[in-house]
Amino acid sequence: MTDKARMSNRYPGVEWIGEAGVFIHVDVEKCTGCGDCLKVCLADCFEIENKKAKIKTLDECMECASCWYICPQEAIYFSWPQGGTGYRSDWG
Amino acid sequence: MAELAEQEYDVVVVGAGFGGPVAAKKCADAGLKTLMLERGQSVGDKVISGLTIPIYGFLFGPSFIRDGNPPIERPVDGIRNYVIHDIDTGDIDIIELRIPEPISPIFAFGYNTYCKPFCEWEAEKAVESGAELRTSTTAIDVIKEDGFIRGVITDREEKIRSKIVINCEGSQGLLAIRTGVRERYPPEVISLADTYDYEIRKEDVDRIFGHTLRFCWGFDEQRIAPPLGHGNGLMVWPYRNSIHWMQDQCLRMDDGKAPNLRRLFDEYHENITTRLPWWSNEVAPHIKLRAKMFEGFEIFVGLDDRLRNMPNHTDGMILAGDAAGLESTVLCDGVPCAWFSADIAADVAIEAIKAKNTSATFLKIYDRRIKAHPIIKWATTCTARWNLRKAQESHDRSELRARVHYGFGFGLLTHASTPLVKSSFNSMKKDPTITIKWLKMFLRYYYNWEHERFGQEELPRQPRGRGLFGLALVFLDSLSRLLSPLTRAMVIVLTPLTGAANPLVKVLGPLIEPLIEAIKRMAPLFKSLLTMMISSIIRANPAIYDV
Repeated sequence: MTDKARMSNRYPGVEWIGEAGVFIHVDVEKCTGCGDCLKVCLADCFEIENKKAKIKTLDECMECASCWYICPQEAIYFSWPQGGTGYRSDWG
Repeated sequence: MAELAEQEYDVVVVGAGFGGPVAAKKCADAGLKTLMLERGQSVGDKVISGLTIPIYGFLFGPSFIRDGNPPIERPVDGIRNYVIHDIDTGDIDIIELRIPEPISPIFAFGYNTYCKPFCEWEAEKAVESGAELRTSTTAIDVIKEDGFIRGVITDREEKIRSKIVINCEGSQGLLAIRTGVRERYPPEVISLADTYDYEIRKEDVDRIFGHTLRFCWGFDEQRIAPPLGHGNGLMVWPYRNSIHWMQDQCLRMDDGKAPNLRRLFDEYHENITTRLPWWSNEVAPHIKLRAKMFEGFEIFVGLDDRLRNMPNHTDGMILAGDAAGLESTVLCDGVPCAWFSADIAADVAIEAIKAKNTSATFLKIYDRRIKAHPIIKWATTCTARWNLRKAQESHDRSELRARVHYGFGFGLLTHASTPLVKSSFNSMKKDPTITIKWLKMFLRYYYNWEHERFGQEELPRQPRGRGLFGLALVFLDSLSRLLSPLTRAMVIVLTPLTGAANPLVKVLGPLIEPLIEAIKRMAPLFKSLLTMMISSIIRANPAIYDV
């Protein structure tokens, strides 16, 4: 395992390395606050604030892009985190 | 953006998962200056699955994998399906598709493996062939000139020029979307997999699972697996001294709604691990959770005509594997199709560079070869899993049994036999001695599994001789060479009849199935024969399995 990796209690065996930054964005103009992104996200990345989805944290994100696929308004922009950052596991 | 550092290659391969290294190795072997880009810090960091690579991947895939020593976790002999009607009363039907002993586990249905070591092994082979590997590097855009893709731009502010790009970026396909070649998949074709990895002693895996995968299916009210027809059921993979547990569910249901996956997955996991008798009684006392992960995959892309026919190439770029939508719909395996397509992509790239023509018009031969591949065609268009929703609608027990049997039991052979026979014949036409290579592969893989000997081709040969068993292989080798013209002629004569394989299995099924069951029941009789066979295989000098 790598130095300075972050671990999570909910997802043992996975670590998050480097500074991934914010690689998922919500367009508040397009978002209707339907909450589909909250339902499919297994990493609890989203919250609803003032009837709009908002990134709460990407600390447990495994870059599956489910939020991006599901959004009926195409209000979510998904990109990869900087190369060499984000989640990693030996047990996939 | 400041002036980017420019570099030049013949071929840039995006992604070092299962497909990328296959393409990179072949291009490097052809003498092309090849670069492979991987966004993970090391190869395989980002690849998550529960993984059986079905045997057709090894038989008809790249020769370096067939003839090599890739890391495998366990040979698999088939699938045991648990069709759960009432979890509390234990009303559960068992439907099996399993190669009986003593044929299995030496002649396997497939091989289980962790993704990371396998991808690493493949990438090492590509690097040994001369391909360059650059990790921690994401291709974020392409270089486009006169409508042609002439390389990629990375997140390290590099401009990497190439004559052609082979895109093996995986299912999300961000680069393909950015370049306007493909579009984002709709959520109903995407499944999200909730995956657990448990440590367990090898003896316990041997005793409880042997070499058999376990799948579970049930109607919604059982709350033991994601709703049928909206993804899959539950699958358990036995590895060497661990097991992988996975449930998955499509992101959008038939009613257009998004399921609450966080709630559902936790509920199903809790139910299956506490109420399913074989899990709670036999497995649970011996396991220790090591990892929990999730990943999305594009399982049903091939069932939608429009999605299936989205371009898999453009001027200067070819897409392979999941990036081209080639995930299998039934066994949800992406690896064999990634291998086949990456192999074909490399062939086409080599031809295109030689012809100095990387236009979409030239690269159309890639699409033609992909569409003509019998296994790719079957794997991406079979509706067996998708149609489980009909059992869900009918809510009929016999319908559910029939559909599980068709998709994951013996019925699988009534739709998979023709593509398997066709692919076998195609391979034998190209190389009539391939049957011996297949035989040696099964023996070598079994030897390697027993001895945990992986990726060690470079180790010095053991000084002892070949033995009787080795001599027998030498004899078979010579015989197959001698009979090559005859084999080729026979295959050419029989090729027009391959279409009859599926109907034949359908007709003979009622005879074959009881026969297999009878052989399974006779397993104790074969025990000493199997022990003797295994002992010969694992005590031999591994050099006899070299091709």
